[in-house]
Amino acid sequence: MSYIDIRKLRKSYGAGLKPAVDGIDLSIDRGEFVTLLGSSGCGKTTTLRCIAGLERPDSGEILLDGKDITYDQPSERDMRMVFQDYALFPNLTIADNVAFGLRLKRYRGRYTPEQVKRRIGEYLDLVHLADHGGKKPHQLSGGQKQRAALARALITEPDIVLFDEPLGSLDANLRKAMQIEIKRIHRQLGKTFIYVTHDQEEAMAMSDRIVVMNGGRILQVASPEEIYAAPNCQFVARFIDRANVLSGIVVSTEGGQTQVRLGDGQILRCEGNGVAAGSTVGVMMRADRINIAGGPVDGMNMLKGMLAERLFLGAKHEFVVDLAGEAGQLNVFEQEMPDGLGGEVMLSVSPQDVRLLAE
Amino acid sequence: MTDLTADTYLPSEGESGLKRAKRIDRRRMLFWVLPPTLWFFVFMIIPYGMLFYYSLGSVDYVTFTPGLSPANFIKVFTTEPYLGVMLLSAKLGLFTAIFSAIIGYPLAFYLAFHAPETVKRFVYLLVIVPWWASYLVKAYAWKTILGTGGILNTMLIGAGIIDEPLTIFLYNQFSVTLTLVYIFTPFAVLSIYAQLERIPTSLIDAALNAGATRWEVFRKVVFPLSIPGILAGAVITFSLGFGDFVAPVLVGGPSSLMISNIVINLLGVAFDWPMAAAIGLVVITLGLALISVAHYLEHRFQHRL
Repeated sequence: MSYIDIRKLRKSYGAGLKPAVDGIDLSIDRGEFVTLLGSSGCGKTTTLRCIAGLERPDSGEILLDGKDITYDQPSERDMRMVFQDYALFPNLTIADNVAFGLRLKRYRGRYTPEQVKRRIGEYLDLVHLADHGGKKPHQLSGGQKQRAALARALITEPDIVLFDEPLGSLDANLRKAMQIEIKRIHRQLGKTFIYVTHDQEEAMAMSDRIVVMNGGRILQVASPEEIYAAPNCQFVARFIDRANVLSGIVVSTEGGQTQVRLGDGQILRCEGNGVAAGSTVGVMMRADRINIAGGPVDGMNMLKGMLAERLFLGAKHEFVVDLAGEAGQLNVFEQEMPDGLGGEVMLSVSPQDVRLLAE
Repeated sequence: MTDLTADTYLPSEGESGLKRAKRIDRRRMLFWVLPPTLWFFVFMIIPYGMLFYYSLGSVDYVTFTPGLSPANFIKVFTTEPYLGVMLLSAKLGLFTAIFSAIIGYPLAFYLAFHAPETVKRFVYLLVIVPWWASYLVKAYAWKTILGTGGILNTMLIGAGIIDEPLTIFLYNQFSVTLTLVYIFTPFAVLSIYAQLERIPTSLIDAALNAGATRWEVFRKVVFPLSIPGILAGAVITFSLGFGDFVAPVLVGGPSSLMISNIVINLLGVAFDWPMAAAIGLVVITLGLALISVAHYLEHRFQHRL
């Protein structure tokens, strides 16, 4: 049995509405950093709020160490949350915000006033806000507010910390810095972190395991590496780092390789088999695994297309290559710049880097 | 009136773009600022000026004599019953403010946090609907409820609790306060509701999540953040209660005469306009001071939500 077990969780916000969470099963181990990833409306936040007890699920159960906590009061659970809009109490100073939990009845008598004071100092230090304890929330920047919220969540030493898109309203550089900060704190404290985000890059960077969700259901649960390399469906493939996904028809399977005919008639070989000839499949290729080639390369798939667009990304260039007909588009990452737009280009991709995906 | 026809916007000879833009700004300003300024002058400045002018004069039988004497103001603070009645009015106004807030708060709380949308609209309407009926009618209604032949006494006798009608319910400070509270509570409800409605639910979630009980959430988060609404409502209910003259006449007795009744008597019966004007100015000054204090407190407790 895992630390947290979610079984057949279902939650709808009104009769007749599509359920926000539609039967979720998920197990989380102690000390794990698990991220619920998906676009808005996929049910990730609702799932998190059910775990926190801020929403009551319609059915299903949530077990903590084998004990059913599905309908316990939020205040009875030993888990603290960091909210997207920080949710700092505007009438209290940062130090009082951080100490909020310690001064509740629930924790009364556990710490002497001196200990409370020392802990406030410790946790303000932990999030680098030692000089800001006397300020009011509105005097802090977005990143500082989020760090204060983090300190408030950690100060009562909960076993589980929940994050509801905590970095959503920060700019890109600050977000990166906070990601590193949160990872550091996770390593330092060894608590279980459950994190919600719609940013796949953030999920990949931080998590031990990613739970990809869509339409209130879980699509795939795996490590970031596995999700990236071996997505189990087209949605996950497209969602994680915008993989190229083309559809085609299986022409033959032999010798551990499958041949797929794309929409424009070109044949693509890929490793693996198990899909019957004649069936429609998706084929996935990562942009960084495709190269622009001068001529045919032995053992590689060669694809012809038209260079449609070029984007400079700093460390690399991204090229958009149109395949003939309705076959689709491919994104290609390259260091070098090929010849002008509108011309024909030849692409090479190893059969090992082409993955078959169920339609 | 200012001319706002199109050619106003054409540049005149040798005028820079910035100057032209500023000239147009000034015209627009004038257009918007003039009506309220006029209104303020005619209906506020002039009446206050007249009030002040009268308060410094004196009256001989029914003839007004202008003057520059502070005698009337001295009388307000030294001669009975003025100061005493003013203090009593303040006391009843304060009671009105306090009880309206106490009664209004739970309803405002329910509306802001618990009522479903349809119920909210309906209750909101119920709070406002009594204002479709005249204030006088509602004050009269309390007379029929509290009087010796009234509903309350009939019920108490019917229940065998008392043998003969009690007179303690009517014609005293209690009945005046009760009537004022009944009539003005909607103002407290609406202003507290408006403030509670601004509190983000995530703050309540955050408090619950931190381990707070429902009571602690209220005491440590909701209540402190609702103080500006309570104060704003209290300023309105206090002012309305303090200056009321209908309730004292209808349901009040000699012990609950209020300052507005005195002013009316001075104006209509004694024809002592200067004295009435002096009392009016003192009341207005006190009101200003009170509102300033309340305003200051409101700002102190108003946090960026």
